[in-house]
Amino acid sequence: MANKKELTKGLFKENPTFVLLLGLCPTLGVTTMVSNAIGMGFSVLFVLTLSNIMISLLRNVIPDDVRIPSYIVIISSFVTIIEMLLHAFVPSLYTALGVYLPLIVVNCIILGRAEAFANKNTVGDSAYDGIGMGLGFTIALLLIALIREVLGSGTITLFPLGEWSGVIHIPLIEANPIRVITLAPGALLVMGCIIAFNNYRDNKKASNAKRENK
Amino acid sequence: MKQYFKTASILAIICAVAALILASLNSVTAPVIVAYDKQQTINALNEVAHGYTLGDKVTTDSEVSPYYIPLIDEDGTVKGNILELKSNGYGGEIKLVASFDEAGLVLEAKVVSNSETPGLGKKSENSWYMTKFIGKDPIPTSKNQLSAEDNAAVSGASITFGAIAKALSEGGEYAKTLEAK
Repeated sequence: MANKKELTKGLFKENPTFVLLLGLCPTLGVTTMVSNAIGMGFSVLFVLTLSNIMISLLRNVIPDDVRIPSYIVIISSFVTIIEMLLHAFVPSLYTALGVYLPLIVVNCIILGRAEAFANKNTVGDSAYDGIGMGLGFTIALLLIALIREVLGSGTITLFPLGEWSGVIHIPLIEANPIRVITLAPGALLVMGCIIAFNNYRDNKKASNAKRENK
Repeated sequence: MKQYFKTASILAIICAVAALILASLNSVTAPVIVAYDKQQTINALNEVAHGYTLGDKVTTDSEVSPYYIPLIDEDGTVKGNILELKSNGYGGEIKLVASFDEAGLVLEAKVVSNSETPGLGKKSENSWYMTKFIGKDPIPTSKNQLSAEDNAAVSGASITFGAIAKALSEGGEYAKTLEAK
């Protein structure tokens, strides 16, 4: 029976971006627009879940000596599958994600979860871990992208729907955006602030618990 | 020896299964992708036609553009040409189509494919990006030749700007030679 704790840990307690600090390259790269963050987040969720399931299924078959090349073949196959599907059926998202889509192959979260979790645990637990970590990554990207796009461009870019372009304009900020937030240093600043807030909240929680125990 | 053979065989089987699955999926998605790319090129050519009728495509051996398409007005006079240009941006090749008048000035331009950074170089896909080049003589090849507002709009993606500017500038020079012919 799969442990549902594996599903929730990736969301906040072991969030891959804010706590484990994994997959920072695409995090900094694609979070200039909300739509890109959603696309990248769900692409990673898909690859992470399926690669975790496949690696867990094959954990007793794959010899230890060739486990890393085997994981890379499995992960890159799933990445190529999603790349082909997006290119054929959601070309606008495929174009928007650009070079970051094939780079999912070398995303540390996926190889990290394969090595640290999927090859030691059951298929059910590995699936929950993949979904939880994937959702945690998506939430983190979404939060960073929302802050960066609102402050840096004064817009929120979603997906076009019928005649609606998918872009929400924020009048006051759009006229006077903080340009640095859209650049790489801005991404690091936003991430740093969120991690600092997380640490502050965790420390406060820990000191409250300590006080109650006394 | 037996152990090495077993290990290599397992890795080979994993690779073969992966290749088989990808080949099967490719046979489904490849025709859709080819049709989409073809439609994108047709759309891009119509977008840069500047209201003129597209003439017959003429292939060339030039390094600047593999072909040109004459732009013909209502009287049947050639008013310019569309070129397909390529340049190297930050993330790899940038392909664009652009129409030029008889003096080599840009009439319209559109990026067809690129791998530039989302939010930065990807801005070049927007129609407003090309207004920095349309009708400009000479075609700006450096950010310093832009107004302060335009300079700020392309900031953070200087390599993309340089690549597009170089392609359009070379295209402009080539368009002049076509007119001379």
